[in-house]
Amino acid sequence: MAEFLQHILNAIVLGGTYALLGIGLTLIFGIMKVVNFTHGELYSFGAYMIFMFSAMLGLNFFLAIILSMVLGVLLGGIIEFALLRPLRGANIDTTMLVMIGAWIVMQNLEQLSWGGVAKSINHPFPLDPLVIGEVSVSWIRVFVFFFAVILIIGSYYLINNTKLGKSMRATFQDRDIAALMGVNINRVYTATFALGSGLAATAGALLGPVFVVTPTMGDMAALKAFAIVILGGLGSIAGATIGGFILALAEEMGAGYISSGYRDAMGFILIILVLIFRPTGLFALKERYG
Amino acid sequence: MLEIEGLNCYYGKIEAVRNLSLKVEKGQLVTLIGANGAGKSTTLKSISGILPASSGRILFEGEDITKASARTILDLGIAHCPEGRRVFPYMSVQENLDMGCFRRSDPKQIESDLEGIFDRFPILKERRLQMAGTLSGGEQQMLAIGRALMSRPKFVLFDEPSLGLAPNLVKTTFDIISEIRDQDVTVLLVEQNAYAALALCDHAYLLESGEVTLQGTGEELKGNDYVREAYLGG
Repeated sequence: MAEFLQHILNAIVLGGTYALLGIGLTLIFGIMKVVNFTHGELYSFGAYMIFMFSAMLGLNFFLAIILSMVLGVLLGGIIEFALLRPLRGANIDTTMLVMIGAWIVMQNLEQLSWGGVAKSINHPFPLDPLVIGEVSVSWIRVFVFFFAVILIIGSYYLINNTKLGKSMRATFQDRDIAALMGVNINRVYTATFALGSGLAATAGALLGPVFVVTPTMGDMAALKAFAIVILGGLGSIAGATIGGFILALAEEMGAGYISSGYRDAMGFILIILVLIFRPTGLFALKERYG
Repeated sequence: MLEIEGLNCYYGKIEAVRNLSLKVEKGQLVTLIGANGAGKSTTLKSISGILPASSGRILFEGEDITKASARTILDLGIAHCPEGRRVFPYMSVQENLDMGCFRRSDPKQIESDLEGIFDRFPILKERRLQMAGTLSGGEQQMLAIGRALMSRPKFVLFDEPSLGLAPNLVKTTFDIISEIRDQDVTVLLVEQNAYAALALCDHAYLLESGEVTLQGTGEELKGNDYVREAYLGG
């Protein structure tokens, strides 16, 4: 029983960051119809930024997280402005190829700048875990979880209660009509990509100190983010949040009760099941065309 | 108020509107009638800026808006109530109306305009927090009209407002449109229901395969043998 509870707790803690990754990708995918292959690179970018600010430059750990977030948002905005804006109206295949190119370039730039050796980042939390009854969790993970939850709530608030959020939802539901209402579609796209990228970078900055940082760490993160989006349904923040927790739970249970070698396979098994039984995802919103 | 000169529009490679010229005077209700695919909707889309014209000129109050963005055109006072209603299905009635006044920043006026819409369409007030996608077709049409009016337009484009509505609602919709005209808002109405549109309008244009083939007052077109034969069922 203790073991089971421990897996559940681990899943909840990990699910928060997965949800961040998923929300970022589902916004970009849903609103812009861009298959964003750079999402994983934004995740590793966030991790390298906290490595740079915290481990190399010795800045305050929390300040380093905030800086990584801000730079993630900026980098996302730049990618949208430089690569996607000129391709507006281009074929989806063209956009996809350009994004694959950007992914390769970014990953190799990381390898060039930081080398291929895994980096670890120290954090200011006590190393003795927090023990609750028979289960325990490290303090850094507790922090990561709550930070992620705050950002998830913030994203909900932004999407549901602000003017920008409203224009993002309107653009997702019917782009032409949103334009008729006076929404600046280009601005919505840049904001969406910047926000989604910022969330990915934050996920990286939060998990960097938990795991280690390598140039290819983004690949698995991107695949997981796609799994979460497929699970949750396109464009659904609630779906991505729940999808993130489901994926974490499946991984924890798979690793705990089948074999730890199957941890990363669980996400893909889930995708296959979802695609067979409910191909629109668990919580999909229908978009309209025409 | 609105003047179109020699407008040509393409949908991909298909020419949807050919050398179209028309004029709408301030305070008028002008209608474009014609069969499916005659280019009526395309004309409206190029006026409101969601489908760029390939050549020709569109002037609104003397200003050239041919190349202007949808946003600029809206700011000049043109609202477009699109074909098929196109309400935002996953937004509440209230949020749809909020989108209608997206560009405005006069909260007091917005509040009183909103009250005006709710007075005219009490059902929208009742369903204020309901998702627009769950409304009936008639309610969605009321919402689409309300949303268009929330921008405080001087000029409204209506695209097939009676399409797919029950007969009693068709009458209500036309009543509302003529009320809007009576409040000094100029209207350009596109309709397949030629009979109702001609009864309502000050001036009418008949569009066939992207070209204006006939124009005149509603009465004149109603009396025309060809129009009676082809569009009014004999």
